[in-house]
Amino acid sequence: MWKEIRHREEGSLGPTAFSRRFFSSRVAALDISNRKEFVSPHRGAINSLQVFTFCYSTPFSFTLITNQIIKKSRHKTRQVDLTEGRYLLSGASDGCAAVFDTQRPTKYEGGGLIAKHHSLFHLNAHKFGISSAIWYPIDTGLFITASLDHYVKLWDTNSTQVVMEYKMPGKVYGMAMSAIATTHTLIASGTADVQVRLCDLVSGAFTHTLSGHRDGVMSVEWSCSSEFVLMTGGCDGAIRFWDIRRAGSFLVLDQSLSQMGRRPPLLPKPSNKEPMSHTTPSKPSSSIRSSAAQKRTSQSKIQLKNAAQRSHPGMASSQNRATAHYGAVNGLRATADGLYLLSSGSDSRLRLWDVESGRNTLVNYEATRLQTSKPIQLAVTPDSSLVFVPCMASLKVYDLWSGTTVRTYRGHYESVNCCFFNAQDQELYTGSNDRQILVWSPSIPAFTQMDEADSNGRITSIDQDNWSD
Amino acid sequence: MAESSHSGGKKRSRSESEEEPDVDATSIQSIRLENDLTFSDTSMALQMMRAQFPKLDKVVVQPFILRSQLYSSVKDRTQVDRDLESLKKEAVVRVFKLNTGTDDNAIMFMDDYLIQMDNAVKRLDVKDRELSEVFGWFKQYVIKSKTDVTISHPELCSLLSNGGDVTEKHVTLLINAGLLTRQLIDQNLYWFAIPNIGSILKGLSQGRKELISLINRTKYKEMVLANLEKKKLRLSPLDIRFHIRDLIGSGLLKTVQSPIGILIRLSRD
Repeated sequence: MWKEIRHREEGSLGPTAFSRRFFSSRVAALDISNRKEFVSPHRGAINSLQVFTFCYSTPFSFTLITNQIIKKSRHKTRQVDLTEGRYLLSGASDGCAAVFDTQRPTKYEGGGLIAKHHSLFHLNAHKFGISSAIWYPIDTGLFITASLDHYVKLWDTNSTQVVMEYKMPGKVYGMAMSAIATTHTLIASGTADVQVRLCDLVSGAFTHTLSGHRDGVMSVEWSCSSEFVLMTGGCDGAIRFWDIRRAGSFLVLDQSLSQMGRRPPLLPKPSNKEPMSHTTPSKPSSSIRSSAAQKRTSQSKIQLKNAAQRSHPGMASSQNRATAHYGAVNGLRATADGLYLLSSGSDSRLRLWDVESGRNTLVNYEATRLQTSKPIQLAVTPDSSLVFVPCMASLKVYDLWSGTTVRTYRGHYESVNCCFFNAQDQELYTGSNDRQILVWSPSIPAFTQMDEADSNGRITSIDQDNWSD
Repeated sequence: MAESSHSGGKKRSRSESEEEPDVDATSIQSIRLENDLTFSDTSMALQMMRAQFPKLDKVVVQPFILRSQLYSSVKDRTQVDRDLESLKKEAVVRVFKLNTGTDDNAIMFMDDYLIQMDNAVKRLDVKDRELSEVFGWFKQYVIKSKTDVTISHPELCSLLSNGGDVTEKHVTLLINAGLLTRQLIDQNLYWFAIPNIGSILKGLSQGRKELISLINRTKYKEMVLANLEKKKLRLSPLDIRFHIRDLIGSGLLKTVQSPIGILIRLSRD
């Protein structure tokens, strides 16, 4: 540690490289925390965990004060908000939501060594289990819970009252708000119904119903690069991309379309595009697989031949039956740069998709057994190097680009449902069916030397006896 | 003598493959060596496992390899997937989805598949000359150009129609010959299939269960590979080594190095 600081002082190590080195060494040392505990008030499985973090790419912010939206401009400089990375929201299957302060403990135990974090408040939010609970992406004044009792509710954090509620046509499995949106405040919700509904916070009504899935929708995720792009994964195994400004989905991911690495290989010559090329057996039919867009056009061509119906791309995509997984897609997570999408399915596979080309990158994440009945919450580190995946009672950490297992964390007694990586403190929180929230923190504290000196001093003072001989 | 036969799966199988060199295998190698001066681990593993494929008494089937078996011998799974994808695109191998309930894939060399297909067609013995033409079309237009696992009905028809007029009867014949299977989820989609493989698939899933329960009944849920290898499975016509490879690759079994040789242990998750 001191070596790096010296290098930084000498100027041989740049500030970003310095912080990155610290970050990765701390993440590599993650282990179950023996200094910090969350006292879970929940009487059911923890289904959702989220720490409030603000996405700094937005130039403006909305602050919503009792249904009134005030647009306030933001300074260009990065100010760290005091609430940033601090408040943890949890939703459990007993219908309760709770908020914890991750930085200031409420009580110390074990001679001041174990910090206990009791919940700041918890409330009986829903009749049935909460499937997803998220913060309003701009500030901690609001949070949203979605439940299996068909409701999505918007809560005021300070008064813990319902501000708005939406009745959905079925059980709500997943819900998301765009972190980078500046022109809309929409909650996308995936329910047992085939349609994805977008709820507007401003008007309190549904603005869009997106239809295309053939079964319920288990996971929804907004794109991190465009505020209008929504990604949904359904029980039919399809992952659909929607541009909410246009009708229909513009991309359906297909597991049989693949590319070899991080960057797409050079596409075959455009002359191959002609659908007649695969009539001659000598040529390999690269035309069929050349790209997702071409696949769609070729498919729509067949459809045109069959039932002479003219359909726009959105309609054609609704007839596209491509699947991303065999079985339901129960988890989606985009990398922080928005270029890649990680999906998990009930076929116990994880797949990494290139968002730009819509292709499977063929990264094989080593043998896993995933929960199949529930949506699971994956986490990716902000530098998109590691991915945290709940695998039954353990949590596995994979290298995102090679798919090798880096670590396996065991601590829970029953299946883990959700995990959240707090990038600011480099801590990991996991929630499980055993009703506990566990904290995984770097085993090397941030200030090793100083702490050691401090604890040494204390230990010697404890060891000293009172005898005067 | 006894020791050399105990000394592990790899050694035994290698000598086995030397003893009985398959005619097709040598021909494939001689063709492929010319353009394959540099080779990948995956293609080597495929060749090796093809040679190791157990001899079956009752059914005549060309050797196939499970995708999970590849993972047991090549460490980098991502590389296996990528190599396999390019081998598939070069039409060296074909990948089939197996109807075992889990996400299983069988890999067969293209030449083996064509032999298997011809055998199946011969056995079916269609009298009608016009109908049996469809096998030629299938071989020429569909197999060569469609390397995916599945094919949709319109696409199949349009590819077959390069040979002549396609009727539903032709498609029915292909299904009857076992070249295509219908999927329950999507009626418009067919899976490509290896004909006459049903009894092996049954043995595959039952043999897996039997092997797992065999290890599960031991005291520490682990066994020395050399001992395990000598066991006979009742329910599976396939070799036990075939199953061990498969289960190691799919993560249900683990290998542990120990002073007495490789231990096979049930994995916890």
